[in-house]
Amino acid sequence: MSVEKNELNPNNPFLPEPARIVRMYPLTDDVKFFQVRIADMEKALAFKYCVGQFAMLSVLGAGEAPFSISSTPSRPGLLEFCIRKAGTVTEALFKLKENDLIGIRGPYGNGFPVEKIKGKDVLIVMGGLGVAPLRSVLLYCLDNRDQFRRVILLHGAKKPSEMIFREEFLDLKQREDLECYLAVDEDDTKEWKENVGVVTTLFPKINDINPENTFSLVCGPPVMYKFVLKELVKLNIPKDQILMTLERRMKCGVGKCGHCAIDYIYTCLDGPVFTYWDIIHMRELI
Amino acid sequence: MDKILLKKAFPQWVKKLQAYRIYAPSKDEDIWTYETVTTPEDIDLEFLTTALSPKKIIFPQREVYLEFEKADEDNPKIKEILPDDDPTIVFGVRPCDAKALTLTDKVFGGDFEDVYYWKRRNQTILVGLACNTPPSPNCFCLSVDGYPHSTEGLDILLTDMGDKYHVKSLTKNGEKLLNLAKSLFTPPKTGDKKDLQKIHAESEKKIKRQIKNLKKVPPKLKGMWDSPFWDEEAMSCLRCGICTYMCPTCHCFDINDEVHSSVPLKGQRIRTWDTCQFPDFTMHSSGHNPRPDKASRLRQRIMHKFQYFVEKYANYQCTGCGRCITNCPVGIDIIQVLDKVRDYGS
Repeated sequence: MSVEKNELNPNNPFLPEPARIVRMYPLTDDVKFFQVRIADMEKALAFKYCVGQFAMLSVLGAGEAPFSISSTPSRPGLLEFCIRKAGTVTEALFKLKENDLIGIRGPYGNGFPVEKIKGKDVLIVMGGLGVAPLRSVLLYCLDNRDQFRRVILLHGAKKPSEMIFREEFLDLKQREDLECYLAVDEDDTKEWKENVGVVTTLFPKINDINPENTFSLVCGPPVMYKFVLKELVKLNIPKDQILMTLERRMKCGVGKCGHCAIDYIYTCLDGPVFTYWDIIHMRELI
Repeated sequence: MDKILLKKAFPQWVKKLQAYRIYAPSKDEDIWTYETVTTPEDIDLEFLTTALSPKKIIFPQREVYLEFEKADEDNPKIKEILPDDDPTIVFGVRPCDAKALTLTDKVFGGDFEDVYYWKRRNQTILVGLACNTPPSPNCFCLSVDGYPHSTEGLDILLTDMGDKYHVKSLTKNGEKLLNLAKSLFTPPKTGDKKDLQKIHAESEKKIKRQIKNLKKVPPKLKGMWDSPFWDEEAMSCLRCGICTYMCPTCHCFDINDEVHSSVPLKGQRIRTWDTCQFPDFTMHSSGHNPRPDKASRLRQRIMHKFQYFVEKYANYQCTGCGRCITNCPVGIDIIQVLDKVRDYGS
């Protein structure tokens, strides 16, 4: 599952490349959407990545942190990120304005094996901020709709106000070529017309899964995996066709700093996308 | 190439090496460290285990990646800082510490070459010194595929033979240093080779500590993930991390920004050594920690060195220098831990 290395600064991968915030707006109380463009136009257009990869973003004086790329390579030029305010770097990012400069390096990680998934059914299951990496896959599938068979999306959030891209997903329900199901654990608005319950309560809504021909892509908070995996196993989806993109504290992104080392692998090089099979054989992944 | 250098000629050799920055063991109070030296007289090759290995010369504890200044909001100045170009020699490298660099080479190499590490690594020549007597009572190199006279990773190996050194040049770089003072090096005489073998054989006998049957440990560790063993062993751990900071093979680091002035913003992006023994080493920003207690962190340290690394690179990630044993404030002894692992459950 390794991908071609496409460093912005091949001589020194640790050098951040200046990038400009084109748009930023809140998605929920503590999550913001960032659209950025690498300042050097040539580099911006040459920047290649695959769905499920991540980049290191930095703010001078605050430091660096890894973020999933939420945009799709089928729409080149701009990179998008969904970022939750959680630490020093994200706090500094939240204080910036459109047109401000940040640093970027990457892309890193293995990403999703898109070529393997082509021609198959795609079942995307996401919870909370799990939307950040999986939005990339979803948009990629929609942009190349004829290359995939069924595309099914199950998306869960705590409350309607905490559903990232809520309006976009509600609009997506109109599409006939996408089976989109949304759920919130609790409806505090009394206006929510979709499902109420955890994301696993959406499973009964999907019919006639052809497990041998289905790839399931999952991302969410650690607590979600146990329950979602149980449902996917019940559907008889083979364990090596259940793909998860996992979070890990990272510093370098290039397999040196040791933070994301698990067993003999590095999440930043050999992940962040792992199969359920990997997870069974490699403890501590979640 | 084997040569003999009289000890009294050693200063003359060093004088010929003026073009190089030279590091050598130096004693500060009771602590031996590698420091830069300016005269041959400053080089003392009768030294005990140094506090840190020469790893600190190739991969320093604190390293600046870049300097930044944001006087103009829209045009911040970012300057890449790379190591200098000065060719360097380290005298008195212990065979275990040289071997350790061959292990960190594996980590800093690979698909993404670490430019900071390799710039220093490639311009540094390692002149080793065989350990005729163990420099620490906790030396155990023989147990981890090492020898007190191993040449692995060295450019030159010196062996103390009383009033002279046996000089084994191992690489082109080593050869270069000998060629700078050709006349000082003479071919070994009959008997020198025999004496050398005797010294090397005796040096092995003087190593008191060992792990028997270490081969049995890596497969054994595989089945000990969930064992209460780790809780028992980690009970006394203070999570100070010294075992990893002193280790010549540990390579983990952190990257942070250091701000020196806030208006205008000025600072540096730096990397510093880090350790898997600290709780926040694996802490997610959400607060979730996949390695939440000291038992899991001790397990990580032992598993990494004696199972994962072995699986990935077919080497133990330990060269038997004994620093982690000597420096642990609560006496956690890696030899004892591995002995217990080997015998666990039998």
